[in-house]
Amino acid sequence: MSDNANKISTSRRQLLKGLGLASLFPAISACAATGSSQASAGRVVVIGGGFGGATAAKYIKRGNPAIDVTLVEPNKTFYTCPFSNLVLAGEHQLESIGHNYDELKQVYGVKVVHALAQDIDPVAHRVSLSDGQTLQYDKLLMSPGIDMRWNAIEGYDEAAAELAPHAWKAGPQTLLLRQQLEAMQDGETFIMSVPGNPFRCPPGPYERASLVAHYFKKHKPRSKILILDAKDNFSKQGLFTAGWQAEYGDMIEWVGLSNDGRVVRVDAARREVETEFGTRHQAAALNVIPPQKAGFIAERAGVTDQTGWVPVNPVTFESTLVKDIYVVGDATVAAPMPKSGFAANAQGKVAASAIVAALAGVNPLEPVWANTCYSLINPDYGISVAGVYKVQDNQIIDVEGAGGLSAADASDSVRKAEAAYAVGWYNAITQDTWGTRS
Amino acid sequence: MTRSILLHKRGLHKLLLATFFASAASLAQAEEFSPAQVQLLAAACANCHGTDGKLADAIPAIAGRPVMVLEAQLQAFKQGLQPNTTVMDRIAKGYTDAELSALANHFANVDKH
Repeated sequence: MSDNANKISTSRRQLLKGLGLASLFPAISACAATGSSQASAGRVVVIGGGFGGATAAKYIKRGNPAIDVTLVEPNKTFYTCPFSNLVLAGEHQLESIGHNYDELKQVYGVKVVHALAQDIDPVAHRVSLSDGQTLQYDKLLMSPGIDMRWNAIEGYDEAAAELAPHAWKAGPQTLLLRQQLEAMQDGETFIMSVPGNPFRCPPGPYERASLVAHYFKKHKPRSKILILDAKDNFSKQGLFTAGWQAEYGDMIEWVGLSNDGRVVRVDAARREVETEFGTRHQAAALNVIPPQKAGFIAERAGVTDQTGWVPVNPVTFESTLVKDIYVVGDATVAAPMPKSGFAANAQGKVAASAIVAALAGVNPLEPVWANTCYSLINPDYGISVAGVYKVQDNQIIDVEGAGGLSAADASDSVRKAEAAYAVGWYNAITQDTWGTRS
Repeated sequence: MTRSILLHKRGLHKLLLATFFASAASLAQAEEFSPAQVQLLAAACANCHGTDGKLADAIPAIAGRPVMVLEAQLQAFKQGLQPNTTVMDRIAKGYTDAELSALANHFANVDKH
C-alpha cells in the first residue's frame, strides 16, 4: 500500500517535472473543466461527433481539462453503423443505436455546437460553420467519416439512394431499407451491391446479408439474397461462408469480381443493376453500397490525397499535408487498421494524447492500438477478427503473432459467447465514446 | 474434458504462483513506462471494458481487481492457457510481458466505482 502511494507520488513528481502533464491522472482529470479557474491551455476544435470525434473530445478533456474543446456535429443524435444491421433485421429499434452529447457537455465540459463545418482556413486556423459562426483553433481534429462517390456507379446518385438505399450511414437510410425488406413478398430477391476495397466496415456487408437472412428465415423463408461484389475476397470470408451454409443453406449467394460480380450501372426506379459483362439483375429490395471517400470537410481542409483518403503521421494522426490538423477514423489511410468504429475510437485516443502533448510542448507518446470487429451470423452466433497495431519505421504494423480470426472449428458455446461479447462490446464502446448505452 | 479443465487449473495455479513471486519484478517493469504512456496503453482496453475498465456487462469489468489476478489472467490469455476464450487470447499476444504487467498494475489501482 505504502509502496503504491510512494510509487504514485514519485511518478507524479517525475511527470510534473518531466512532462507537465499532471492532468493525465484520472483523479485530476475527473474534475470537469467548467468553472475551472485555470487559464485555457489551448483551443481545440473537433469536427464530427462519431466514434473518432466524440472519443477524441472526451479524451482531450481527460488528458487536460484546461484545454478548451469545441465539438462540431450537425446531429443531436448520432446513430451508429455498428448494430444497424440488427435494426434492418427487425431485432432492434433505431432508437437503441442513437447516442447524444450530454455526457461530453455535462461531465467533461466539452462545448458542443450543432452545426455543419463548411470550410476550413488552415493558415488562419479557422473553421466556418453553417450557422455563420467562425471558430478559431490551435489544433483541429476531424473525424469526418465517409462520403459516397455519387455516380462512380452509373445511375447511383443521391436521388437514387432514396429508392435503392445504401444504408451505409445509419439513420433514415437504415429505416428506408428496413421498410423495403418488410415490403418484400416471400420468394422475392434482395440484392446487395458491395464495393471494392477500401470502404467503411469491411465485414459489414456480409453481416448485413447474414442478419437479413435471419429475418427472411423467420418471415420470408423462400426469399433469396444475392451479393454482387466488386472484389474476389472479403473479410472473415471462410467464417461467413461456413455460417451461411450452416444457418441458411443456399439462401445467400455471393458472386465475386471474377464471376461478374461488379455492378457498373444502377436503375434505382426499376431496382435493377447491371454488372461489368452486361448481366442484369432485378431485385424486390436493392441495397447499393457505393465506393467511398473521406467526408467532404477533409477535402475542404486540403488533407486528402489523390485517392480521396487522408494520409496521416502514424504516431500522432496529424495530417501529413496540413499542419495542426489531426484526422482519425474511416477517412484516414491507416491500413492495416480497418475502417471501423473501434479503430476510430482507438485512433481518437492516440490523436487526443498527441494533441495534449503538443499543446504542453512535449513529445507524443508511443501509440498502441487494438481492434476487434465482431460480426453476427445470427443474434446467437458471433464471429470476430482482432488485431493489435504498433508503429515501426513510421508505418503502422500488425503485431506479429497477435490478432486473427475466430477459430474455424469453434464450438457452439464459443459462437454464442462471441455473440454475447458483440453486445458487450457495443455497450462498452458507446459508453466510452458518448457515455450512453443502448 | 475433465482432464483439460484440470490441466487448465494447474496452469493457472502455476501462473498465479509465478506472478506472486514476480510481483516485485512486475512493479519494477511497470516503471519502464511513464504514467502517461500507461494511460494511453490502458485507453485501448476501454473499447470493450468501458472507460477506465469499469463497465460490468457481458464483458467483465477489470477496474479494481487484484493485480495478481489481472496479470495471471492476461498471461493465461497470452500463453493460450485459457480455454473457450473469445478474443483476449488473440489480443494479449500483441503485448509484451512488461506492457501486460503495467496494464495489470494500472487497472488494479483504478477505483471501480
